[in-house]
Amino acid sequence: MLDSIKFKLEVVVPEVEIPKEKWTGRVREVKIGGKGRKEVVVGGATAMPFLDFEGEIPNPPRVAVEVRDDPSGFPPGLLSSWGDDVVNDVGSWAKKAAELGAEIITLRLTSAHPEGQNTGVEEAKSAVDKVLSAVDLPLMVIGPEIADKDNEILVPIADLAEGQRIVLGNCVENNYKTIAAACIAANHIAIAKTPLDINLAKQLNVQVSDIGVPLESILMDADMGALGYGIEYAISIDERLKLAALMGDSVTAVPIINHPGPETWRQKEAKVSEGVPESWGGYDERALYWEELSATSIIHSGADVVTLCHPKAVEYIKSMIAKLMGQ
Amino acid sequence: MALTGIQIYKLLPKTNCKECGYPTCMAFAMKLAAGQEDLSKCPYASDEAKEKLSAAAKPPMRAVTIVTNDHQLTTGAELVMYRHQKKFFNPAPLMVRVKDTASADDLNETVEEVGNYSVDRVGMTFTLDGFAVQNDSGDASTFASCVESVKSKTDMPLTLIATDPNSMSAALEKVGDSRPLIYAATKDNIDQMGQLAKKYSCPMVVKSSDGLDELAELSEKASGAGVEDIILDPGDRDLHNSLVSFTQVRRLALRKFEPFGYPIISFPGEGASSVEEEVNLAAQHIAKYANVIVMDSFSPAIAYNLLTLRLNVYTDPQAPIQLQSGIYQVGSPDEKSPLCITTNYALSYFAISGEVEATGRPSWILVVDTEGLSVLTAWSAGKFDADGIAAHIKQFDAADKVNHNSLILPGGVAILKGETEENLPDWKILVGPREAPGIGGYFRQNAQIWEG
Amino acid sequence: MSRFIAASTARGARQVIDKADNMLKGALDSLGPDAPVEFKDRSGGPTAYYLPVIYGYLGHKVEKVGDLQYPLDRAKSLLAPEPDENMWLPYLGETLDAGVGTLWAEEIIKGIEFAQGKQPEAKGDFQFNGPIDDGQLRSWGIAMVDGSMPGFAVVIGEAPSNQAAVRIVRELQARGQLVFLSGNVNGRSVVDQLLEEGVDLGYPTYTVSFGSDTESTVYATGYATRAAFSFGNVTPGDWRRVLLYNKFRCFAFALVLGPMDDVKWATGAGAIDYGFPAIANTMVPHILPTGVTRYEDVISEPWDDIPGDTNEKAKRLIDKCIEVRGIKVTIPQPELPVTYGPAFEGEVIRRRDMQVEFGSKSGPGVELLEMKDTDAVEDGKCEVVGPDIDEIDFGNNPNTYFACKIDVAGRAMRDEFEPVLERQLHNLSNEVEGYQHQGQREITWIRVSKKAYEAGLRLKHMGDVFHTTFHNQFGSIVDKIQTTFYTNQEDVEKIMEYARDKYRERDERIGGLKDESVDTFYSCTLCQSFAPTHVCVINPERPGLCGAYTWLDCRAAYEINPRGPNQPVEKGKCLDEAKGEFEGVNQFVYDNSQRTVERMTLYSLMDAPMTTCGCCECNMVLIPEANGIMIVSREDFGETPCGMKFTTLMGQIGGGQQSPGMMGHGKRFVLSEKFISAEGGLRRVVWMSKPLKEELKDDLQQRCEAIGEPDLMDKIADGDICTTVEDLVPFLEEKGHPALSMESMI
Repeated sequence: MLDSIKFKLEVVVPEVEIPKEKWTGRVREVKIGGKGRKEVVVGGATAMPFLDFEGEIPNPPRVAVEVRDDPSGFPPGLLSSWGDDVVNDVGSWAKKAAELGAEIITLRLTSAHPEGQNTGVEEAKSAVDKVLSAVDLPLMVIGPEIADKDNEILVPIADLAEGQRIVLGNCVENNYKTIAAACIAANHIAIAKTPLDINLAKQLNVQVSDIGVPLESILMDADMGALGYGIEYAISIDERLKLAALMGDSVTAVPIINHPGPETWRQKEAKVSEGVPESWGGYDERALYWEELSATSIIHSGADVVTLCHPKAVEYIKSMIAKLMGQ
Repeated sequence: MALTGIQIYKLLPKTNCKECGYPTCMAFAMKLAAGQEDLSKCPYASDEAKEKLSAAAKPPMRAVTIVTNDHQLTTGAELVMYRHQKKFFNPAPLMVRVKDTASADDLNETVEEVGNYSVDRVGMTFTLDGFAVQNDSGDASTFASCVESVKSKTDMPLTLIATDPNSMSAALEKVGDSRPLIYAATKDNIDQMGQLAKKYSCPMVVKSSDGLDELAELSEKASGAGVEDIILDPGDRDLHNSLVSFTQVRRLALRKFEPFGYPIISFPGEGASSVEEEVNLAAQHIAKYANVIVMDSFSPAIAYNLLTLRLNVYTDPQAPIQLQSGIYQVGSPDEKSPLCITTNYALSYFAISGEVEATGRPSWILVVDTEGLSVLTAWSAGKFDADGIAAHIKQFDAADKVNHNSLILPGGVAILKGETEENLPDWKILVGPREAPGIGGYFRQNAQIWEG
Repeated sequence: MSRFIAASTARGARQVIDKADNMLKGALDSLGPDAPVEFKDRSGGPTAYYLPVIYGYLGHKVEKVGDLQYPLDRAKSLLAPEPDENMWLPYLGETLDAGVGTLWAEEIIKGIEFAQGKQPEAKGDFQFNGPIDDGQLRSWGIAMVDGSMPGFAVVIGEAPSNQAAVRIVRELQARGQLVFLSGNVNGRSVVDQLLEEGVDLGYPTYTVSFGSDTESTVYATGYATRAAFSFGNVTPGDWRRVLLYNKFRCFAFALVLGPMDDVKWATGAGAIDYGFPAIANTMVPHILPTGVTRYEDVISEPWDDIPGDTNEKAKRLIDKCIEVRGIKVTIPQPELPVTYGPAFEGEVIRRRDMQVEFGSKSGPGVELLEMKDTDAVEDGKCEVVGPDIDEIDFGNNPNTYFACKIDVAGRAMRDEFEPVLERQLHNLSNEVEGYQHQGQREITWIRVSKKAYEAGLRLKHMGDVFHTTFHNQFGSIVDKIQTTFYTNQEDVEKIMEYARDKYRERDERIGGLKDESVDTFYSCTLCQSFAPTHVCVINPERPGLCGAYTWLDCRAAYEINPRGPNQPVEKGKCLDEAKGEFEGVNQFVYDNSQRTVERMTLYSLMDAPMTTCGCCECNMVLIPEANGIMIVSREDFGETPCGMKFTTLMGQIGGGQQSPGMMGHGKRFVLSEKFISAEGGLRRVVWMSKPLKEELKDDLQQRCEAIGEPDLMDKIADGDICTTVEDLVPFLEEKGHPALSMESMI
């Protein structure tokens, strides 16, 4: 009796038909670099991250490595992983990052911060120059994120790198026009950054493109907190943006950039080696995993470019991306 | 298709007897429709109602429970692909694998270390969830005694890993009333494993060695044989394939493909070539669709990372993480250190503590209970006001912590200054920057306040 | 359009083209076809895009003298005969074409002059600038794109006096406008006038001298074309986009000082192609709006007719230019003696802390915003008629009178925006520290704190606040704003009476709007940040569920920000009249709810009701026992007959859920004829929150009477009468509530 039932059950096992999402949208491809620099293409997906059974993932998420012209904001634990001689010169830093597999160099002009060294246009240009001459990778330059200062230093930098399609950031809600205009004039790519809000992200993309930056020259940064510091918001915003793009919303169909590296290294878990609970584990191991997990999560949620900080994180995340791409 | 509250109401007795705990049948129907209640609470529900409701209400993914004397570990019952669509419900248990070939000392050490591990975050305590004991020796009695030994040292839930039904049977003899997870029924042993699962009322994993077709077949076989609590192992291990197959299984489950209407188990260590990769795989599985995760590597740093990620991923998007109210420390503050105030919306707190951290100046942060609302939202909702601030200052004895009696209000609610001064006549109320990134500059400009 | 202008342009174009023709013949002879032709900057460096106007229009690269023949031939082909004295046809197109030919010919002339070494022009010791160099173009271009520099003014000819020349340039500079100078009147030009007055010309002062002839004006259109290449993503020869870019992005205009001549007309016609209007300070015919430029193409503002002294005349002339070109000037935050910001919204000033109170118990308070003709509004003016705060002895005489009258003008302003803008006064004034604003219309109630008064706050400052904030937030519809406060009895009473008439008119206008009389509803997706699948659809007879947005508000919001969260929703085919189901609405909601909500009706609670975000004012819930519905409002914290409090209900249906039998809505929806009309409307209401019932009392009574149920109010229970369904039903039976005998709701 039991056997016959089992037999019946076996024959009624429904065949597994893999449901495939029929998306209509495609994330735009953005070409970074060129004119003598290596060119890196980001975006282009017609499916959610790595789900290549139902769409194309023509380009892997790209790994950018952050170098700073004033490294003092980074904790010693991170700086020592690069070496003191390296981090005191953005050129050498970029060069080493390139050797370790960086695909893009993110130069953050921290020295220009009005609360810090408050350096000016000349220092910023010189930092950019150093990186440009040290490596042939595409470049991303982010200002101190103080509106007036960003405008002051990023415009001459745009000029300096004319035509090399560097990425300039950040265009934000109340300060996007100048950077956007500089991108248009010198054929660069603008980062449109919004604070964890899908509508604002959409709106800013519209505004930046309205002013004349083609959507093929915009990356959007919907912001993120590191692991433990609100990363769940970023996961959901990225997923929603990517889904909206795949559903055919042209305005959100631009590649997503996130900065899990620098976000991690400003948090306590990655900064403090003593006087923390034993259950946090050893500092080096904990801090590195903190960056890795922040990056892993956001890459799985739709990030097309991630900025990392630690040399080992670059190695592990690149290896992970290659495997996720089925390589 | 889920039933609406009205449709359910029509099936209820409409007597408003209140025995379900709700004042009206309508209120109960709405709860049922939202999936927040169970029809069994209605003592007068008709058979028709039960049948229709259970058919409509059968969740796309079964909740499976692993039981020990003191613990009940429930997993599964997920309803969405993406957390923003509703939320992820049951945080995937993280277990650590031990093998019966390990020396008794090593085994003891691991069990003790993992078992005792706990970490605090946002005022909550997190631990790992159990052990997976593996029959590496191939010997039934070795396995049984290993399981018995683990069982004697911990009451955490267990997964028993063996391919030989005899080993499994021997181990199950030793677990008393616990109902560990049986791993795994394969196409070679599903009949015997299924019988064990039924005999001991244990949940059981079905493991495919050949893709999703085989997985569906095994799942149907197991349920056909009367095993209700099933967990799926699609068999894929590497980063790419596990993402793809877990996604497909979850998607099919949500589309009510019954053979896949169960939780998924994963073994990140088996697909990894290094510890780092195992951790990355585990992170992927936390975010993407594993419901039980068995780790091979353990260290406090790994555990802290993965538990934090799980907390984040499983946070209800509608109910953001809240902190306990109280005075928090950044660094080791003393009586001269600044005292900032903010709400218990975790993101607000993190934004501020991160910036304070960056200043290098140890500080106190008074967290006011605003039911998880951010500063401006709480203020406009009347949940962050002078009375509340004063009450928290007193409740947590802020006056004993600092000697300068200065309190820094978030700049966005400068308007509260006057009233707070009235409520706290002994205090100087300072207005801080509007946004957290301004804290560095603010501390520098006002350094004399805290440097005497 | 004017035959006079057409004729003059045709003659001017022919004159310039003939000149170019002759010069080219000469240059081919003397220099040869291979002599290089290039626009160089002052330092002799090259400038990009060849002869830019020709390159932009024709995609034709001019690199040597021989290359000039083709554009010249094309220019000749654009020449039309002069219009006949007696029989003239519409010739705007011909005139504009002649203008284009003129610009090409002018570039040819300048190109040859460069080849001959005669450019940039020198006049005595003075060296004209000539074409703008590439670096400067980029840096000014960025300023124009980011809005810090609105555009440029080409000043052609000679001002009535040296002082006038200086004042005109100063007025332009004060508005951030770049100034280009060219042309002359009988040999004298604005450049001469400025030099005589010791005014510095050059890039640092944003004044650029092109040359002493009218032809050098072509460097301005060249600059505009190069800007379109650099910032407008334009390809050579794509003349349409060159022109559109400049019309919409480059706020330039020509100001012609002194008598016009044929060449000036012809050059001006070329500028109009770029969307650059011309303003003349002499008596010339107007060209009223044609669509080529934003508003009028040509405007005459005869200098002698402008009132005031030279300074005043210059200011008014430039005001007119700015208005005709549609330039929006961003005004910096007002200088206030107190702080300004959203944190002070909702600030409460207690009686003992206040310096003065207007409205409420202290006397009448009224505010009215009205649209006026542009000439009737003086932008930025604020007048206080009667005593200001410091002249009121409130302590001894707590009787005050208050009227705030705001006049706005704007090219895009419409009278139905009046109430929308008027409602902004509440938020805008509340953001001032120490200034409390409550109520609206004839129940305006204001308190000013002692602290703010001591810091120096006066009513006149509020005028500055309104001026800047209206410009900055509503600049797309408001061009000018002027504020008058009245604080004496007589004026206030007069305005009160006048305002009441206005309010009545408006109410009739809004109240008169029916869903059937419009084709378009509006969406609101403002709440998608936390309710990602929620789409509010707002129709004339149903406000947004938060109560903050009416259909008119949404329409205004859409005009103000066409890419914002309020989008037009075409109704499309009506699928069910009673339930208010429309094809267009369904489609819009589906597309904008992440494809989760497939149908949404507007007038039904039971079938596919609107989703609920989280900010609804009220919730209605089916009470099956009573065959009706209850309405609980947000301010009601108590229990309700459905067994759930407001907050519990929100937990059930908030976040974008569609739950038949429960729905969030705005308070005033209760008064609408479309209020759940599919289920029988107001007759279904069996219970209401007490505060809501109180608030809507009078209007509700009217509606009850209108539907033939004058006693309905008494039959509707509230929180004081009962909070359980067990008590509710007997109450309804006793009162004979109509819902009990209506068709079953489920």
